[in-house]
Amino acid sequence: MDAKNEYLLLFRGKDWWNGLSPEELRNTMEQVQGWFNQLTESGRLKAAQPLAREGAVVSGKNGTIVADGPFAESKEVIGGYVLLQANSIDEAIGVAQSCPTLKFGMQVEVRLAAEECPSMAYARRILSEEQFAAAAA
Amino acid sequence: MSTQTKNGYMLIFRGTDWHNGLSPEQMQQVASQWMAWFKRLTAEGKVVAGNPLEREGKIVSGKNGKIVADGPFAESKEAIGGYFLLKVDSLDEAVAIAQECPGLPYGARVEVRPVMDQCALSGEALPETQLAEATA
Repeated sequence: MDAKNEYLLLFRGKDWWNGLSPEELRNTMEQVQGWFNQLTESGRLKAAQPLAREGAVVSGKNGTIVADGPFAESKEVIGGYVLLQANSIDEAIGVAQSCPTLKFGMQVEVRLAAEECPSMAYARRILSEEQFAAAAA
Repeated sequence: MSTQTKNGYMLIFRGTDWHNGLSPEQMQQVASQWMAWFKRLTAEGKVVAGNPLEREGKIVSGKNGKIVADGPFAESKEAIGGYFLLKVDSLDEAVAIAQECPGLPYGARVEVRPVMDQCALSGEALPETQLAEATA
């Protein structure tokens, strides 16, 4: 499957800025701003958005279970994302490694945007051509 | 913090191996439902962006990002398979759309998150005077 050369960076971490001094916060914000400016100027930034800490998690058959979450104290909670134009995962990893907030314990998940959903690719593999065409119609 | 936002909502699809073990008939049905769902939401202007994600990726962590690990693991129930960006006006509407996700009966979960104007770091962590200084 041809890739789009777009990588999603997911920023994970609880409120890592707690405990930083005002100076550290100011420096960090400047570094983050500079980091974004650089990505924008190099034309690699396709999109970026921060997410509110609260939300909902829907599960269960027919989505009947609606729970508060994710919980902000979780180390895994996603704080925001960047959609990046990059030629290889190594280039995307390099950008992730230059993220100024890693030193405070944040993690960055790096994922290649797929041309076709892997679930659909799986369906294409296990279904006959006629079945898949009928599903996709 | 308000969960009403003019910036829309992100649906994060969790669970990447829920389709394992489905019969070809079930797979055909869910593939068909998922495509119809996405087409309808796009036609209604409610889905404005979205991407499926390749299953493998990397997790970068540590000071200066020196730790590069494989992950997330596909067998994790929390692994993210893809996302939609929704242009709807309320969390309730976003949740109602999430509840239509055709993967739910098979164990997929959908995280619904309001998109913010600005990073929580600038919005919450700094008093306004310092914020003005830092962004000057």
